[in-house]
Amino acid sequence: MRPFTYTKTEDTAQATSKLAANENAKYLAGGTNLLDLMKEDVERPDELVDIGLLDLTDIKETSTGVSLGAMAKNTETANHPLVRKNFPMLSLAILAGASGQIRNMATNGGNPNQRTRCAYFFDTAMPCNKREPGTGCGALEGQNHMHAIFGWNENCVAVHPSDMCIALAALDATVTIADGNGKTRTIPFTEYHRLPGDQPERDNNLERGELITSIEIPKNNFAKNSYYVKVRDRSSYAFALISVGAGLELQGKTIKNARIAMGGVAHKPWRAYEAEQFLKGKEATEENFEAAADAEMANAKTLEHNAFKVPLGKQAMVRALNVALSGEKV
Amino acid sequence: MAEITENMIKSKDNLGAPENRIEGFLKVTGKAKYAAEFSVPNVLYGFPVRSTIAAGTMTDIDTAEAEKAEGVVKVFTHKNAMKFNPAPDVESTNKMTMPKSVLNTTAINSFGQYIGFVVAETFEQARYAANLVKATYQETDPKIDFDKYVDTAYKPDNANGAATDTQRGSMEEGMSNASKTLDITYQTPIEVHNPMEPHATIAVFEGDALTVYDATQMLGPSKVAISNTFNIPQEKIRVLAPYIGGGFGSKLRAWDHVMLTIMAAKMLDKPVKTAITRQMMQTNAGLRQLNRQHMRIGTSTDGKLTAMSHEVMTHTAVDEVFVEQAGFITRTMYDTPNQLVTHRVFDTNIQVPTWMRAPGETPGSFALECTMDEMADQLQMDPIAFRIKNEPKTNPLDGKPFSSRSLVQCMQVGADKFGWSKRKQEPRQNTKDNWLVGYGMAAASRAAPYQESSSRVKLSYGDDGLEAVIEMAATDIGTGTYTIIAQTAANCLDIPVDRVAVNIGDSDLPATPGSGGSWGAGSFTSAVDAVCEKAKSALKNKITSDSSALTTADELMKAAKLTEFEMEATEGPSEDSKKYAHFSYGAHFVEVWVDEDLGMVKIPRVLSTSAVGTVLNQKTARSQVVGGIVWGIGQAMTEETTLDKRYGSYVTRTFADYHVPVNLDVGDIEVHFIPEEDEHINRMGVKGIGELGITSVAAAIANAIYNATGKRMRTLPITPAKLVDYEKQPVA
Ligand SMILES: Cc1cc2nc3c(=O)[nH]c(=O)nc-3n(C[C@H](O)[C@H](O)[C@H](O)COP(=O)(O)OP(=O)(O)OC[C@H]3O[C@@H](n4cnc5c(N)ncnc54)[C@H](O)[C@@H]3O)c2cc1C
Ligand code: SF4
Repeated sequence: MRPFTYTKTEDTAQATSKLAANENAKYLAGGTNLLDLMKEDVERPDELVDIGLLDLTDIKETSTGVSLGAMAKNTETANHPLVRKNFPMLSLAILAGASGQIRNMATNGGNPNQRTRCAYFFDTAMPCNKREPGTGCGALEGQNHMHAIFGWNENCVAVHPSDMCIALAALDATVTIADGNGKTRTIPFTEYHRLPGDQPERDNNLERGELITSIEIPKNNFAKNSYYVKVRDRSSYAFALISVGAGLELQGKTIKNARIAMGGVAHKPWRAYEAEQFLKGKEATEENFEAAADAEMANAKTLEHNAFKVPLGKQAMVRALNVALSGEKV
Repeated sequence: MAEITENMIKSKDNLGAPENRIEGFLKVTGKAKYAAEFSVPNVLYGFPVRSTIAAGTMTDIDTAEAEKAEGVVKVFTHKNAMKFNPAPDVESTNKMTMPKSVLNTTAINSFGQYIGFVVAETFEQARYAANLVKATYQETDPKIDFDKYVDTAYKPDNANGAATDTQRGSMEEGMSNASKTLDITYQTPIEVHNPMEPHATIAVFEGDALTVYDATQMLGPSKVAISNTFNIPQEKIRVLAPYIGGGFGSKLRAWDHVMLTIMAAKMLDKPVKTAITRQMMQTNAGLRQLNRQHMRIGTSTDGKLTAMSHEVMTHTAVDEVFVEQAGFITRTMYDTPNQLVTHRVFDTNIQVPTWMRAPGETPGSFALECTMDEMADQLQMDPIAFRIKNEPKTNPLDGKPFSSRSLVQCMQVGADKFGWSKRKQEPRQNTKDNWLVGYGMAAASRAAPYQESSSRVKLSYGDDGLEAVIEMAATDIGTGTYTIIAQTAANCLDIPVDRVAVNIGDSDLPATPGSGGSWGAGSFTSAVDAVCEKAKSALKNKITSDSSALTTADELMKAAKLTEFEMEATEGPSEDSKKYAHFSYGAHFVEVWVDEDLGMVKIPRVLSTSAVGTVLNQKTARSQVVGGIVWGIGQAMTEETTLDKRYGSYVTRTFADYHVPVNLDVGDIEVHFIPEEDEHINRMGVKGIGELGITSVAAAIANAIYNATGKRMRTLPITPAKLVDYEKQPVA
């Protein structure tokens, strides 16, 4: 771990201006991702600004929905009555991630900013365009069973690892961001993360010094029929091979609206627009779920070790939709 | 979890009681000190620098920046390291004791090889400076890819000390006489031990005397290896390992970090401490290599074996040969007139493999016991009946009688308790909601070696009466050694367990074979029982009056008018025991639930029976079996070390990618000990437990998955990817 300075502040403006002033500074929230990466010499900040004291911990009802403070912990968020009642998919997604101990430290602002778990990214002996632009992508022709099947290019085939973000993408959340000049802006959650494009080093559209202050989820009618499925290499405490968040808004047997997002498949939470489109206005049947999943998976491009994600992705999506339809609160 | 039934426990007098660990309080309160936790005044911290390639030559190494970093005392590389004697040829007999040479070469043989060693005032400073050391290399294409280099295989001299090849009768004849035959290949992956406590060493010189605090399973061989490496007389070396956080074979030999630490302490004349990282635990402390196992089996229509072969293909390091005896179990398990077992190996730029819990049996039993299940299925025969049909009368390998063999009882009692009769022979017949339910079983055996050991007893009087101290250079790697030693002494001396103090983990004490090969319990307690008996007879001899009515140590001490007494003894295999073949046996029964669409498997219950001779402590014995089963679940379902074929680097670098099972992967585990008396193995009648527990668990799980799904999973681990994309299994 490289030497760094450490400061703590209670003031959001002060925090953002510190980062605006030093391009090698980083926010420290729960630290569950950042500190690991510093020990591995992957992240190399020379200044840490601890934002643990910022007054951004509220989870509250607003006129349009629910607002999740950036410094509220993942555990509290998953168990909050407002979240459980209105957005059970988000509760399920958060609880499917990491472990109790980590969720107790992890924050809503830190979670979307966690880096990929690509082993080449973590190993400084390996080439990696995300860690060191221009060195090549180690995973492209390496061990890539965890890697992307949608939206990748040869610059980077990594996937975004978060579970929480899959639900947020499906739920059409928005992100509220403060910059270093006291201004705020809002962007749709689905546009927060990026595909690798020609800047694989950038995971998201946060500009230097910007801070997530809250995440807003608009009211919707999916609570009754929604579910989150996660498939992983062991029963708990492992990142998703494939995950699917699905919500159905039904009118009788007809699907008025469907929301589906997938994890473990792309550099960003992957909204399954093809599948959603297919289901809109159709009857909620297993056949239609399968056809919708086929429509989505038709665009998959696999790598040497991840072809299994195509059948698995389809089956996981069908499962998520079936359970959502059943209305079971599993 | 279900309790073990008391009446099933074979007890030698009051031995066998489920005593709590006598050192448990120290452990849970943090007072038990593990190697890295000793505080030594003025200690410096070492941190190894690792190569970032797997094959080639280091052309230069630049330490200038590291040397300038805060707190750095010295950066060792091949340029300034001590000159070591060239290493001798590695034999199966000198692996633990041979001299090591570190930092004396620029040749790179595997990824992560230590190429430097930074010593600084704090651990953090040393770790940071290690990042500043820059090496340049002339790379060659590393040999990593199994399929690419398998053609370069050769016949090794031995398979972990056992015969490389054995043959009985003719396979060709046996197969052509068979009415049913199978020809199948199984594969088990590279695995890493990953004990909870990473390896750590502290070296302290006082004049020419060296004290080493080390996370080691074996004090004696470590001492000899250090002596051979540094030309220090053995009597000047003391190795201390009072507590060890798991070993599983990775702490049997002194790895390079031990020698780096001692070298630095010697050259700097200051104590040095090294605690290697979890990442180094993957690359520098041994592994179990990939085993590709080709099985052929033939039977008559009624299920009598006519032929069985087990041909193992595996890899070793370019600079050291280690071949696991994966085919060994097939030599001793079933009766067949024709048999062939072979081991072949080829060189790779992957670090040298080493012993890992039940070496040989763990991967070998997967191939053997799945093959038996596949054949039973072909024969439409119950897998237990098929095994009983082929039960040998004597050890098929050498014709020796078994000292005890309760395999049939293990299978029958296990079947009864598990509810095996409810199993449907035909796969895919049992469902529950989205799940396919399957039952599977496998038989287990593990060699039960027993070794010579010494022990000392010191008797004296305290406030409550007679007390004993037992001293011996034994180790407790988390298995319960402290407790069974105390119980054995208490039993022999007729005093309560809490009046026995156990002093182990110090190489200056009477020699033992250490903890490995499941011989620890039998060897340690036989020596303890022997020394206590010897003390009692010696006391008797001192008594001038009639001592015939005196039995307890206390009575004898008093009659001899002594308040203190000391005795030492050595106990080893008898001539009688050498006439027998010694194995522990068991059987595992598993229920699985498979969600085929998602490739997910649940293991709601495992029931195991073990026949291990005398059970010294029901609780610690049970824990050994349970721990073995849990690792067996890992072996079956989650554990695999993956390397990048181009770079030889490890893709599974930490516990986030190397998946050991978590609580949710493990359901109910029920353990039953089959009453068994072994009169030949040693005076305590103790056979090994620690390695039996893991043996054949993976096979039982794979067999259950077949029963649930009709899919034969022949390549471990059985991941969702393999279940979902069944047609694309690597080897089938
Ligand atoms: C072993 C392990 C297993 C895990 N398994 C899972 C899993 O299965 N699923 C899953 O979803 N996650 C998993 N996680 C990841 C975990 O969810 C994240 O580490 C956590 O959410 C990060 O939050 P944090 O507050 O600790 O972030 P930190 O580590 O403090 O920060 C992460 C990054 O976000 C930046 N940051 C923090 N807050 C803000 C803010 N408000 N605005 C802008 N930038 C900010 C930091 O500067 C840093 O770059 C796992 C982690 C570990 C260690
Ligand atoms: S996939 Fe992305 S993160 Fe992984 S090695 Fe390639 S560039 Fe780096």
